[in-house]
Amino acid sequence: MNRVVVTGIGVASPVGLTLDRFWSAVVEGKSGIRPLTIVPPDRITTRIAAQIDDFDPLAHFDAKFANQLDRYSQFAVYAAREAMRDSGLVLSDQLALDTATIVGNGAAGQTTTEDSYYRLYAQNAARLHPLTIPRYMGSAAGSQVSIDLGLKGPGWTVTSACASGAHAIGQAFHLLRSGQAAVAVTGGTEACLTMGTIKGWEALRVLTADTCRPFSRTRSGMALGEGAAMFVLELREGAVKRGARIYAEVTGFGMSCDAVDLVAADPGGAARAMTAALRDARLAPADIDYLNAHGTGTVLNDKTESDAIRRTFGAAAGRLAVSSSKAVLGHSLGAAGAFEFAATALALHSRTIPPTANFQEPDPDCALDVVPNVARAAPLRHAMSNSFAFGGLNAVLVLSRA
Amino acid sequence: MEVAGDIKQVIAKELKIPVERLGDDTKLGDLGAESLDVIEIVFALEEKFDIDISVKMGPEPAAGNAAAAANDLSAFTTVGDICRAVQALVDAKAAK
Repeated sequence: MNRVVVTGIGVASPVGLTLDRFWSAVVEGKSGIRPLTIVPPDRITTRIAAQIDDFDPLAHFDAKFANQLDRYSQFAVYAAREAMRDSGLVLSDQLALDTATIVGNGAAGQTTTEDSYYRLYAQNAARLHPLTIPRYMGSAAGSQVSIDLGLKGPGWTVTSACASGAHAIGQAFHLLRSGQAAVAVTGGTEACLTMGTIKGWEALRVLTADTCRPFSRTRSGMALGEGAAMFVLELREGAVKRGARIYAEVTGFGMSCDAVDLVAADPGGAARAMTAALRDARLAPADIDYLNAHGTGTVLNDKTESDAIRRTFGAAAGRLAVSSSKAVLGHSLGAAGAFEFAATALALHSRTIPPTANFQEPDPDCALDVVPNVARAAPLRHAMSNSFAFGGLNAVLVLSRA
Repeated sequence: MEVAGDIKQVIAKELKIPVERLGDDTKLGDLGAESLDVIEIVFALEEKFDIDISVKMGPEPAAGNAAAAANDLSAFTTVGDICRAVQALVDAKAAK
């Protein structure tokens, strides 16, 4: 089987549009959760989100292209360009034919959908804009990435709610490992800060009113986020030959379904996905030095995930560093797994364990080393990134130092 | 009501070009317009004049299929084609 490495990372994140700004915020625990301003406040109670304030589409796309892109596609195309640039990879015509585009998103063009349906239902518009469908379709972001970068290999969109980004990266990893593509541009994207989506989340009663505090006894729910993280994955052989900078090697991918409940996660399902990822990577629990948790900051998720981690790692759980990046990045649903894959790859590359920010006090229900508030230097060998979705769809990736 | 001037303003705005470049015989394709651009122009004209323009995007209809050909996007090749079609619809609406 082929070995697969990460050579490029690009982000459009609530803590910055460059990889440097993203990583320094994650390491310093500087939260991107801020006052929500892109949705009018009159009909929602949510006042905070990890919102991207500084993304001007016209700074990145000409007016005609920007007009074709819903916000979720704008993030994806921007991040994919950044990842490609970061990788230093120049695609020959031949290599472009062998380059896959696998993007994950939980929802789709929510801004377009809501604006269009508001016109239709509330304003009785006689007609909708002709780009309504091309902008809001679920595979629009992936298509636009392939068009923008000229990627002509296999392409599709993966959707599994909050695990979409991780499932997409895992699928891209499988394609390369099995020889069906030589390069993949992959990751996750989401632009879910819209009136209808926020109302829906409010109805589920899982959003925090103050801020996201994963694993803290005082945690009060999740904060929504948005953005995209995209990657260039390459065959290790090709990357080494061209002298590419390698962030990390992708060594394992494990999946499972809880098959239990639509919204309450099951520790058994999460543990099965982690175990499958370890087996895929041919690693033992004690080989994993760092785990980037799903860690949403809801009372239930963090307890269930802690149970699942202890169940999977057994005695090795005692020396495992676990942190959640969602206090910094919010929960960007289909993009979350991709943001956290970036954090995990950068942790290995820089030998730094990012902290769980906003941490106040330990919770006996989450009795793990959650790296409260302060990053640590550590000689990391292998790391794991967890993504668990509503609907019980679990995706776990293992990365190893290159 | 003579609407050719307004139509040209709409087309120029959608294609982001000066209106002076639009003659009756100017082909939209020569202005860089692709099929989606033409569809957007159609939408803008429908909104502007509150009319329904029944053109379809897709491959050119088979020879002999006159009904389909009348509604084909390729019937909107020049600025003049659009002006005539829209003028007819605006006149029809006014006559109601």
